[in-house]
This record gives sequence, C-alpha cells and structure tokens, in this order.
Amino acid sequence: MSNLPQFASTVHEVTDAMEANELYQREGWTDGLPIVPPTEDAVARFLAAAELDAVAVIGVEPVRRRSITAEKVAIAAVMAGCLPEYLPVVVATVKAMCQPEYALHGSTASTGGSAPFIVVNGPVRLAIGMNATHNVLANASRANATIGRSIRLILLNVLGGIPGQLDRSTLGHPGKFTFCVAEDEEDSPWPPLSVERGVPAGVSAVTVLQVESPHQIMNEWTHDPKEILDTYAAAMRSNMLLYSIWEGNYAFVIPKQHREIFAAAGWTRQNIRDYVFEVARVKRGDWRLVGKAAVAGRKDEDKVYCALRSPEDLLVVAAGGPAGGFGAILPPWYGKKSLAVTMPVGA
Amino acid sequence: MTLRVLDPRQSAHGEALRMAPPLASLDGAVVGMIDNAKIGTERLFDFIEEILRKEYRIRECIRRRKPDASRPVPPPMLMEMRGADAILAATGD
Repeated sequence: MSNLPQFASTVHEVTDAMEANELYQREGWTDGLPIVPPTEDAVARFLAAAELDAVAVIGVEPVRRRSITAEKVAIAAVMAGCLPEYLPVVVATVKAMCQPEYALHGSTASTGGSAPFIVVNGPVRLAIGMNATHNVLANASRANATIGRSIRLILLNVLGGIPGQLDRSTLGHPGKFTFCVAEDEEDSPWPPLSVERGVPAGVSAVTVLQVESPHQIMNEWTHDPKEILDTYAAAMRSNMLLYSIWEGNYAFVIPKQHREIFAAAGWTRQNIRDYVFEVARVKRGDWRLVGKAAVAGRKDEDKVYCALRSPEDLLVVAAGGPAGGFGAILPPWYGKKSLAVTMPVGA
Repeated sequence: MTLRVLDPRQSAHGEALRMAPPLASLDGAVVGMIDNAKIGTERLFDFIEEILRKEYRIRECIRRRKPDASRPVPPPMLMEMRGADAILAATGD
C-alpha cells in the first residue's frame, strides 16, 4: 500500500507470519493465542476503513492517563483477527471503557478477575455478521470473537494489563479472552438494549459492563414469567452470598424460549426489572450459611441487601439459540464501582 | 521477503518517575500511611505503626483512609501527606 501513514509505533522486521507470531508470543504481546501480523499495510487499511488518523486519541484511561491512539487500536484489531469493518465497533468499545464511571483501571487491576462484556446493537451487527443466537456466549462468529479479543489485547499492550503486573486477577475467567455478543433484535419482543439506554433507533451502539463469569441457569418447567425470573434471581442471590453482596449492574442474557414466555404474558423489560428488584435480595445473616460467619456478625444480620440499586441497574439482553430454557446472569465486578456504559458506533 | 510489523505497546508519556532517595534513618521521621480501604488494612497499619514507633522511634504518623479502594487517592488527601518524610501505601485484602 502506498502513502502509508506516519506511524508512531516501532517497526520490527520479521521473515514471515510465523516468525511474527513467535516474536509477539516471546515478548508477551499476545494473550497466548496466535496473532495476525500487524503489518504497516494492514494497519493502514484498518484506519482507512474507519476513517481514522493514526494519531487520533480514541480515549484516555482516567487514572494513569494513558492515551489510547487509533494506531494502537488498529494494531490490536489486526492482531486479534478482525476485518477492517469491525474497527468502528472496537473503537466505540474503547471510548465507552474510558468513561470515568467504567473504572477501567480499577477493574483491570483488581484481584476480582473480571472482564468487559460487550453487547452490540444496531445495523452494524448484521453488516459484519455478528452472532446473536446459537452458542452466543462462546464461539460462533469471527466478529464476536475478534472484537472482544481486540479489547483484551489493548488492555494488555496499551494499558499494561499484564497478568501478574498491572492485572492482579487471582483467577480471571474465560471471558477475558473475548466476551462480545450481538443482541437478537430481529427475534426480540423488546426494543434494542441500546435504544432503551438512550441511543436513537437505527443507530449502532455498544454497551459494555465489567462482569464476573456468567452463571448459567435452566428452567424449562413453567410458563409463568415470575417463576422463570425466580430462577435468575436465585443465581443472583447465590452470587451475592458466594461472591459479592454489593449492588450494581447485573446483566441477564435471556434466550428465545424464555423471551416467548415473557412476550406471551405481555412482560416488558421494565416488568422484568421491577420484579427482579424485589426478589433479588439476601439478608446479611445468610452469609453464615456459606462459611462467612466471620463477617456476617460485623453489622446487623437482619439487614437486607438488594442486588440492584434500582430496577434500572438490570440490563436485559435478548440473545441465545432458538431452543432451550438456558439463560445466564452476569454479575458485576465489584458492585457499583464500575457502571455499564453505552456508546454509539461512530460517535 | 521481510514483513514490517508494528509494536503494539503504548509508550508512557512524560517524565519518568523516580524513586525518592531512601531516608538515612526513621528516627524522628514523619510517616504517612494511606489505607486503601480494604478490610484488613487498618489492622495491618496498626501493627506497622506500633513497630515504627517502638523500634524506629518515628515522631509522627499521618494516617488517612481512601474513600474508595478502586480509585486514586483524592488530591486533597495527598496534599495532607506533604509533610511526611516517607509514605506507606498498602492493600489489606
């Protein structure tokens, strides 16, 4: 490609893609999986596709004040295996995560070991072939897999989120490799999540929240929406007792089989949130049942803790395969210390 | 054939931070302690303060607790540490 941009990054010369991969593995610049070599030509193509200058600052991590430039975002996207047309989604995700309420530094550095969960809405999902149905939380789509992976590589290489260094996760979870879904807008009884969060209909957007590993639930034995939600809420109460009692943004991934039950009963997302707000509660004294007697008695054991600060804390995502009563709750990293952020693509 | 590939890392900007020179002695020193608001930090600092006072004869301890473990020390709290000869920051997970 002629007329390459003036890149700020150091250039390394290698003989071929295999040697490039070995260099990046050796230097710890990847997540352990192979990379696509971020050649000058490839990075230039990605930037051109997103109409971005290499020097453009996509975001600044608020605590350490690290600037994240378009050049570094494009390098990560190439390495992750993206196509150029995915880059605007990666860019929007970085912008969202740099908002102060996201607490990017704290959540990246924490022993808690959480991961950014990315939900994509709008026309871009279909344009780039994202998956919203079968196996939605796992492998099924190049776009889902590589957009999420790009974010991990940015955290690793641009923000220094190296395990054992800035990233102090005790365990982490598999979503730290990649954790990105599209919402199944075409088969949902509800407006897109992004529209509910203030983005105009028809505009593509990402919603990102910092979550612990998903807890899968199953209920195929009722058509009562309350009973279905009682199963999700039980998983939330379990998380409150076993992991963290603190209130914050939880997400539900609700599959078609459950969505049809809600639709038949005329339940909106607001109905779901209102019900869950009431039932996802535990008593402090319940900690005694799960081996946490040492802290249960430090305050009033009859005190009731809610999973959500208000019903609006719950994000309801329509996604998953067409058959099966399997849903998931995604708990927050650390209560309300990191909040979900929605960002239009191309903003 | 040679491939020219770009380094994915972001260089730090600005002047490099340097460690302050070590104190010759803690005798008579003012020591700041910034508690990161984790559950065990207060107890840990109580223990360290006792050692510093008894065994190292420090003059004063300035102890402050961050309002939030996952966010930086608020600037006014840092300003309160200006008079310290040395500062301890600790996590008490």
